[in-house]
Amino acid sequence: MIPHLSLSFCLYVSAALFAIGVYGVLSRQNLIVILMSLELMLNAVNLSTIAFGRAFLPASPPDPSGPQVFVVMVLAVAAAEAAVGLSILLAVFRKWRTTHAGRIDMLKG
Amino acid sequence: MDSSVFHICGLLSVAAAALVVTRRNPVYSTIYLVLFFTLISLEFLILRAPFLAIVQVLVYAGAIMVLFLFVIMLLNLTPEELREDVSRSRKVLSGAFAALIFVLLAAAIRRSDTVRDAPNLVAPIEDPGLAKAGEAPAIGTALFTTHALAFEFSSILILVAIVGAIHLTKRRGRAAPSGQGAPAQGTGEQVQAAAEASGT
Repeated sequence: MIPHLSLSFCLYVSAALFAIGVYGVLSRQNLIVILMSLELMLNAVNLSTIAFGRAFLPASPPDPSGPQVFVVMVLAVAAAEAAVGLSILLAVFRKWRTTHAGRIDMLKG
Repeated sequence: MDSSVFHICGLLSVAAAALVVTRRNPVYSTIYLVLFFTLISLEFLILRAPFLAIVQVLVYAGAIMVLFLFVIMLLNLTPEELREDVSRSRKVLSGAFAALIFVLLAAAIRRSDTVRDAPNLVAPIEDPGLAKAGEAPAIGTALFTTHALAFEFSSILILVAIVGAIHLTKRRGRAAPSGQGAPAQGTGEQVQAAAEASGT
């Protein structure tokens, strides 16, 4: 039997990872874990981008590396987001002594 | 071989992601997140993206995870501070919302003709140029020719992120009146955290 890997399996995995990330962002109160769930969602999107790029590789002669470049850009944004998010977290912790999202409900510093 | 490895990695990565969002202690979440990133990297490798697989391990498992662990260490949270007290109704509602998103995405994947007619992902690629599309030379060429503008914008983005991170974590003058006279202010976060720990 020829080994087979369907595009739909990759997309189902990616959709499941994205849904888990959404669950983490909505249900958790710890800001660190909320940021981790954001990383999960970004990775889910990257996985589906790469799967699509691999599936339609023969149909993309002008720019075969396009999906990979897109994922590199997502990586850069994710790194910037993690750095800024964690430094906001540190500033918030210094001010209120907590990382609990429910206790940070004042829109003023 | 490749396809069975991918199937196992895919299921394991879903399990690792579920563990990340359910652990109470963020250190355990981070450890499972490292596992998750490694599994995603393996999946990239099977999908013929070797450069991205390496970058995934370097940037995510290497840099971002160290950043998370550093912050967790700096905060030095006690078990009481880690208690979240999330109500059951909130958990059920967010679970239902996440399930709804998954069902919608799965329905879209199921009904799409493009996805159903897509070729086998582990089939060999005859064209040598296309087979190398995921390797460093091809990505580098694409980055510096076709996508040069996006590349330059990403460098501005990272510069802004660096400046923003330094600005946000810098200690303000009025917040620490005792340290103002010293010529060399604490540069590292560790210094500040140590000062805070000794002050409280």
